[in-house]
Amino acid sequence: MSTKGTHIPDWLAVPFAGITPAPTQQKGQDLFPTGNWRAIRPVYRDKMPPCNNACGTNEKIQGYLDLVKRGKYLDAYALIKEDMPFPSVTGRVCYHPCEQACNRGKYDEAISIRAVERFLGDLGQALPRDVVKAGPPNGKKVAVVGSGPAGHSAAYQLARMGYQVTILEKSPRAGGLNRGGIPDWVLPQDVLDREIERLVELGITVKTNTEVGKDVSWDDLKKNYDACVLAVGLTEANSARAEGEDKAGVLFGLPFLRDIGMGTSKVKLGARVAIIGGGNTAIDCAREALRQGAEEVTMITVEGNKSEMPAVPEDLHDMLEEGVELLHGLAMTSVLGNGKVEALQLHPARFTGAINASPIAIDRDAPAARFAVDNVIIAVGQHASLKWLPEEFKNERGTIKIDRFGRLGDTMFFAAGDIVQIGSGQPLMVVNAVGDGKRVAFSLDKVVRGEPLQERMVPLDVITDLSRMNMTYFPKFARVQQAMLNPVSRKKTQEEVIQAYSEEQAVEEANRCFSCGTCNACDNCYLVCPEPCIVRSVRSNGLYKILVDYCKGCRVCIEECPTGCLEGVPELDFDTGVVRMDTAFAISQGLHGRQKEELQNLSDRPPKDIENWT
Amino acid sequence: MSYTELTVWTRGIIMDKEGRDIVNSIAASARLEGKFAQAMENYVDNPDRTNAPTRKYCRISDSEIENALTYENEAPNILVLVEQTMVKGWDYLRGMPPGGTLVINTHYPPEYMIRFVPGPERLAQLVCVDAAKLADHKWLYYRLGELGLDRLSTEGAAERSKAIAPDIAAPLIAAVVQTTGIVKMATIEPMIANKAAFHAALDQLHVLPLNPVAA
Repeated sequence: MSTKGTHIPDWLAVPFAGITPAPTQQKGQDLFPTGNWRAIRPVYRDKMPPCNNACGTNEKIQGYLDLVKRGKYLDAYALIKEDMPFPSVTGRVCYHPCEQACNRGKYDEAISIRAVERFLGDLGQALPRDVVKAGPPNGKKVAVVGSGPAGHSAAYQLARMGYQVTILEKSPRAGGLNRGGIPDWVLPQDVLDREIERLVELGITVKTNTEVGKDVSWDDLKKNYDACVLAVGLTEANSARAEGEDKAGVLFGLPFLRDIGMGTSKVKLGARVAIIGGGNTAIDCAREALRQGAEEVTMITVEGNKSEMPAVPEDLHDMLEEGVELLHGLAMTSVLGNGKVEALQLHPARFTGAINASPIAIDRDAPAARFAVDNVIIAVGQHASLKWLPEEFKNERGTIKIDRFGRLGDTMFFAAGDIVQIGSGQPLMVVNAVGDGKRVAFSLDKVVRGEPLQERMVPLDVITDLSRMNMTYFPKFARVQQAMLNPVSRKKTQEEVIQAYSEEQAVEEANRCFSCGTCNACDNCYLVCPEPCIVRSVRSNGLYKILVDYCKGCRVCIEECPTGCLEGVPELDFDTGVVRMDTAFAISQGLHGRQKEELQNLSDRPPKDIENWT
Repeated sequence: MSYTELTVWTRGIIMDKEGRDIVNSIAASARLEGKFAQAMENYVDNPDRTNAPTRKYCRISDSEIENALTYENEAPNILVLVEQTMVKGWDYLRGMPPGGTLVINTHYPPEYMIRFVPGPERLAQLVCVDAAKLADHKWLYYRLGELGLDRLSTEGAAERSKAIAPDIAAPLIAAVVQTTGIVKMATIEPMIANKAAFHAALDQLHVLPLNPVAA
């Protein structure tokens, strides 16, 4: 064979021209680098899983499911605590937007992310001390008004950054909506108490019975603290705009739950109770009413049917199991009775717009129905009570006027949670408030340190969908169901309805995770590569490397990557890694020699020493 | 007395015929014009492997070419890369005398491609032509992998090869002839099967003038 024009290194000199050393010979191994065949280069790039993107606080869900899968529960708990101060609470109460977004839901059944989160949260509660520590003190004092989800989250993140945080709570007990809006049979009080204790362990001062506008004035906040986060939430219940709402026996949803939660309730319900409203609070009220002694509970909604109700389907299902009746397409126009509610007057009604917050059109010409009840609970939303707030910071919706970073003008006041999210199109839920509190805490920190503000903490990346993944590798597995109390027995007690996962169940459920768009060290690329171009030291996420000198761009690894974290990038997009070779003879070190060198360069990252965490 | 060498770099099997068409049609045209010409393929590279880099050679001279038994071009004046990625992989300009021409089938502009070219000071011009698009090629080159899977052998190639330059070779031939004048347009044009792509390419060349050689 002619080797004219090709550069032959001295060490490749062969005894006879035209004889190629066999690959088994030492020098033959260095021949034929095939990297210049390549038109496309495989690249590992972790993408955003849909669960992480959907989560209000962008929990790294894929990350902790992967750790649970491997039995690294403490690492998983530490990871969840980066974004979520109280996984034990959200593991019980969250309306899990992550599960709605889960790619597995389009395949068989979504991962029960909330149940795994609860498993980790309970694990964290059992620890003698938390994995999270307060940051090195920076000498700045911050007040957080309100100890609900947003305030809790903001205080937690600020304490981690070294701020001296004081929480001002107007109720006798901290917890805000977590305590006052969520019934005990969803979130036992001792779980929340433990999470509040964790806050105190971080060095946060919790001042209860301290109301802004009464015990502390706006000017006090300004004078005594370097910055302040307003997370006061929506405290006042909306009226249903019916006549006679002031009669005895008429209750409002959130105050009803709050009084029970704070232990200050003196309510005695009659046998027949009607709930006005079709949202999640209405459902909680209906189920709480059963536990407070009501015999017949009827929910009256303007929505035309079940599917239109702005509620979580599982909770609706559980409520119907407990025997609550539904009446659709009706609005309460009047509360009838002599001083005390005896019956409701109902008229046919519908929403005038596409969303449930749109104005209601009531057909008052139609014959009114009379519905006999002993109590009525009105749960049609909440609004803010902001008498203490200077007028300049109020907006036309009656809430706080903020810029897109949560800041009030150019003051050192920030606002987070339901108080700013209402009317923004965001559903009002605990996890969204937590995320808002977290983002505002980071914005506050940036302002205090004089750094430019960032638009979003998690950059919006490619959100992995099923078409990017190789579904051949994922057999269908049913979701691990959480055990539940029997509807007949549970509806009279305050016992927690949904039961926790055992360790085996949590691992089994975490195992179902597709790990969408993120390397989970399945080793597939390493095994399928027809040439040993893919190297790794230990089998661990992101510790794979491609030897571009030998990768022919055959795409086998890209096609066979189950999670879609490997992608093909046109070779011409790279300025680096330009490998120049002769057609027949390599001028560079050969495949096996190179692999050894690359292996030495790979960081030999040991698994985290979870036993000795400090 | 003029002597010109043309080397085509192409990919084994999937773009083998495209490279062959370029050297064969140009050599045939030169002979029709009364010149001496040779065209041959290179088997050093073991071209019967999908995507393996492969070379095709052509020489044109006013006088008889004496080194008939040497089949590698030592000093190519014109270089054609049938696939754009090949711009990175080799020192393909090796031996090129100053004033050469490089033609690349790519959708990138020559200003982008020049940074990958080893030793561009030897070039008088860099020509980029989006041949795959002009020939309405079924597989664009960014789907090279599919192309390879579809044509894993040369099975049926003989039947297809009756037509000269039915595909992406036509715009590349147009680019070579237009920018170098190696043969006359009138002699080569009747041979080309894909006349639409051939003529379209004449208007759609992206030429980057570099270092002209003083005449």
